[in-house]
Amino acid sequence: MANFLKDEKIIDLENYEFQALNKVLNSSALDLINDIKKADLKGRGGAGFPAGVKWELARNENADKKYVVCNADEGEPGTFKDRYLLENSPWKVLEGILISAYVIGAQKGYIYIRGEYSKPIKIFKKIIKAAENNNLLGENILGSNFDFELTLIKGAGAYICGDETSLLNSIEGRRPRSRIKPPYPIQSGLYRKPTLVNNVETLATAVEVINNGVEKYNALGTKESNGTKLISLSGQINEPGVYEIEFGSVTIKEIIEKLGKGVINNRELKFVVPGGVSTSILPREKLDILYSYEDVSDAGSSTGSGAMIAIAEGNNLIDLMLNVAEFFMSETCGTCFPCREGIRQVCYLLENAKQRGHLTNRDIELITDLSQTTYLAARCGLGQTSLNFVTSILDNYQEELLQGGGR
Amino acid sequence: MGETNLLERLHTIQDTYGYISENEINKLAEQFDLPRSKIYGTIRFYSMFYTEPTGKYMVRVCDSLSCHLNDSADIVEAVKNYLGIEDGETTEDKKFTLEVVECLGHCGEGPVMMVNDKIYNYINKNRAIQILKDCL
Repeated sequence: MANFLKDEKIIDLENYEFQALNKVLNSSALDLINDIKKADLKGRGGAGFPAGVKWELARNENADKKYVVCNADEGEPGTFKDRYLLENSPWKVLEGILISAYVIGAQKGYIYIRGEYSKPIKIFKKIIKAAENNNLLGENILGSNFDFELTLIKGAGAYICGDETSLLNSIEGRRPRSRIKPPYPIQSGLYRKPTLVNNVETLATAVEVINNGVEKYNALGTKESNGTKLISLSGQINEPGVYEIEFGSVTIKEIIEKLGKGVINNRELKFVVPGGVSTSILPREKLDILYSYEDVSDAGSSTGSGAMIAIAEGNNLIDLMLNVAEFFMSETCGTCFPCREGIRQVCYLLENAKQRGHLTNRDIELITDLSQTTYLAARCGLGQTSLNFVTSILDNYQEELLQGGGR
Repeated sequence: MGETNLLERLHTIQDTYGYISENEINKLAEQFDLPRSKIYGTIRFYSMFYTEPTGKYMVRVCDSLSCHLNDSADIVEAVKNYLGIEDGETTEDKKFTLEVVECLGHCGEGPVMMVNDKIYNYINKNRAIQILKDCL
């Protein structure tokens, strides 16, 4: 089992060597970007945009000021791998932030941690203080000509802030609605300056790519999924937790059965949410697929944030659909009408169906329509993916839902 | 708008007084040169800011999917019954406010409940009530 990210816990500065940062400060930024591109490091927050390309675009922007932002607003139900990194490898996260800033030429950055994460916030406050006292933040970092200042921003309970444009509005003190793209944050982000936003795990992975070298990193994984990924395993499973998986080395079924030690109380597995509640479910018949971007995508879903949730037989499906739809109803920013009203109507239909004990054909038709509309009309990724869970259950278990929804 | 952070100021006020009063909103509007409605709109967007006083103990019980699959709904019911309040309400003695919340990011250790800043993992009905009793 690979362990780049799931490493021993290091909180004391003297136990951490800034190997990658030292290497970076003594080499050309262009080489580094090429390495990250060669490693084909995809954004680990969920959307999977190539980090190297993002870094290159940000570097090429001409501006008097640029920003980097570390997105630690981890809020998708089932996801807790960034919390794991913040609590166990905060120095590695800081190192990733510093490297990204150095590479694109930013002198100011933010780490935005969700407000509910009291412990990671406390840890990172200490990290920033210690870094400032040890020449890892401030002027002439580690004797180089690189100056960088980092500020911690504490979120206040809004899932939408995980969307990078909403996150920027939140940092600016505005109502955190998403922004229309283009311009992309890379061109015009925080305070209208070029801004590079990266997820916690993406930054930590970049550090590992540099530490280990691209060749070693690329030797792991599959054709389109290099290296490893942290998985947050939860739900009705015997051994939930954070696991680091080499892409393509195990099937989803094996993750559930071998790493997670199977479903609780010897119940039978019904389906798996492969990447957080914004991704489509995979029924148990489809779980013999390797864990990689391409295999999960071919099976009709997405690796998303890596939040894998196991669901046993015997749950009330309508109740689960309603639970997820209600999450998105309360977390939509309300800017795009179909996302705001569409999800509300889906909840209304599901609420009625739950009372009634089953769905009707008309419910299925309406929910499918509303999902399509929301998908097409929402301007941010969070809105577009909000009804994947609901519609994928409709697609896989239609007969069952018409009869009664799993009970 | 400059780089002085309104969000940070809101946190400070919330942490100091337990809520953000109209008086504070007026002061912020002046300080940031923004209409009061904008400040109010920002505050109300976030689930962790309040414009009315809340209880001394903010009890947040997660009912998102992973916790829900491990019977968090039963815990919500038990806490509601014990405190005699509904989701979003505060007890008459101003000790507890109950909120049924979205994911707290401890999905592998659910069901999860948070009292002020402290997380409690793997709770059951009895433990949830014991935690509330221990607050007093």
